[in-house]
Amino acid sequence: MDTLINVAHGFGVALLPVNLLYCFIGVFIGTLVGVLPGIGPISAMSLLLPVTLSGTPESGIIMMAGIYYGSMYGGSTTSILVNIPGEAASVVTCIDGHQMAKQGRAGPALGISAFGSFIAGTFALIALMLVAPKLASVAIAFGPAEYFSLMVLGLVVLTFLTQGSMPKALLMACIGVVLGLIGLDSITAQPRLTFGRMELIDGIGLVPVVMGLFGVAEVLLNTEQAIKRDIINTRITHLLPTKEDWKASAGPVGRGTILGFFLGILPGGGAVVASFASYALEKRLSKTPERFGHGAIEGVAGPESANNAAAGGAFIPLMTLGIPPNVVMALLLGAFVIHGLQPGPLLITQNPGLFWGIVASMYIGNVMLLVLNLPLIGMWVQLLKLPYNILFPLIILFTILGVYCSSNNVFDVYVMIAFGIAGYFMRKLGYEPAPLVLAFVLGPMMENNLRKSLILSQGDLWTFVQRPISAVCLIFALVLLIAPLLPSLRKKRELVALDEGA
Amino acid sequence: MTNQTNVKLRLSNSELWGGLIGLALGGFVIWSGVKLKLGTINDPGSGYVLFYTGILMCVFAGTIIVSALTDGAPTLASRWENVRWSKPLLLIGCLVAFSIALEPLGFLLSSIPLMLLLLRLIDPVRWTLAIPIAVLAPSGMWWVLKRLLLIQLPSGLFGIG
Repeated sequence: MDTLINVAHGFGVALLPVNLLYCFIGVFIGTLVGVLPGIGPISAMSLLLPVTLSGTPESGIIMMAGIYYGSMYGGSTTSILVNIPGEAASVVTCIDGHQMAKQGRAGPALGISAFGSFIAGTFALIALMLVAPKLASVAIAFGPAEYFSLMVLGLVVLTFLTQGSMPKALLMACIGVVLGLIGLDSITAQPRLTFGRMELIDGIGLVPVVMGLFGVAEVLLNTEQAIKRDIINTRITHLLPTKEDWKASAGPVGRGTILGFFLGILPGGGAVVASFASYALEKRLSKTPERFGHGAIEGVAGPESANNAAAGGAFIPLMTLGIPPNVVMALLLGAFVIHGLQPGPLLITQNPGLFWGIVASMYIGNVMLLVLNLPLIGMWVQLLKLPYNILFPLIILFTILGVYCSSNNVFDVYVMIAFGIAGYFMRKLGYEPAPLVLAFVLGPMMENNLRKSLILSQGDLWTFVQRPISAVCLIFALVLLIAPLLPSLRKKRELVALDEGA
Repeated sequence: MTNQTNVKLRLSNSELWGGLIGLALGGFVIWSGVKLKLGTINDPGSGYVLFYTGILMCVFAGTIIVSALTDGAPTLASRWENVRWSKPLLLIGCLVAFSIALEPLGFLLSSIPLMLLLLRLIDPVRWTLAIPIAVLAPSGMWWVLKRLLLIQLPSGLFGIG
């Protein structure tokens, strides 16, 4: 009953005209960046982070959330029609989605992807409404040791799932922690690694780091090769899937939704992992696995549902524990912090309007996305024809302006360019930036909790093992660290390892 | 991978370089941690976490180096094989030039040439399209930010913008 009252309160907030407008802007921009290859939700969210300052916290966070789940919808359009993933979570949709389009079944592929996404998004929201308050009440009992161990686990899971060698991913995470510690020490107020520059006293901003590593570096990589686009030119019809399509897709949508939701909750997991896991699961369960890769609708329905459910599930650790499970949620945490809010166990009780308003807006956003993605498909197809040689200078211009506006400081533009160049060379040498960014956000929180727990326990390291939740997290992290040393587990890791940042 | 692109004990081993850079960074972080004071385990100082993170960095970098020397790794040149390596290089050059010019010239005078260079140098857009985009996009953004959002962009020594 309480949940229903809270949901009604949330809809009261989300249906305010200004919040509806921000929600629409968010899902529209999300679909746009999902459709356009070369710019993803991370770049778009960091670009728009400063814009959230202009309105209420609800409006800003509603918009940011809209960009995230909107991009999950939009990404499938590019994968199906052009065979280029609009964003990383849609990589797997290219395999069967584009084959369906080539066989003249672009309509059903787009249709099932939109409906599957809608169903998964709705399920994820209902689960979020039911799980989040319960988890928040448990999380109140968390001490610094639990928080520290949970963050360690989150980082280890992300490094485990990152493409390439694990030592490289762990090295990136360590660099991220160090970068996050630049500036004044929160306990002793001593400047650290500032090299005497006043601009570094407050630390390096999240926006220039993310824009550099994901925006500028991505553009640098894309300019290496002329992007060829094999756009399906035939008229897209029959967007509503047939009875047979629904029959084939019902199982994959259901399984993808549940799998995606749970993978989304896990620290370090996310939409990309979920979509690949769902594809692998459907292929394994199928009686005719040989159809996969040749236009099987299950290969579109499952992963697209999974990535949307994961996008919803990822809000749980952020909202209830204050720990972002992936880079996108780290940016959303940035939006909370900009408004002086701290997501965590007390958010739901202290700011019920904000929490339930965001949840309700996500449901409204999902409906908006269904409307945006099906009838307006022609418009998105036209947009895909915008040449990349015109698009990338505009992306560079937007990143420069976005970074400058976030702090009104030219120094941040230099930081972004430096990280852009570093990010390009990192990618070329096989170092993924996602662990670095997550560690950059978690680093100061980890240090704080580690020092607090050491002070509280009077230097007794057993405190991390004596507390059950902390112990479980550390044991799980240890298992993941050891796993790549075992050949059979290494092979499995390589199968699921992904380019989270693309 | 051919023998020419997968090397072990050679300076062109790309993984070796990655590992060495990581090792150098780790060493620097350890030194910074010590300089900032480690404190004690009962009361960790400002350099405590930095010091141990630096040690971890050295361990991971060491693992990368050992793996590069025992298993071999692609050469640096092979990382840029079959790609238009000059294009990102040009783009990096443009961005560095822009960052140098931004403060003295201001936003408008530095971003219009940047846009024109990007539109013409990487995958050339025809002049009739490149010039209007290069002028209108930064000017439009400048107008929106300055007039509508009241955000002051750098105006440079000439006070333009």
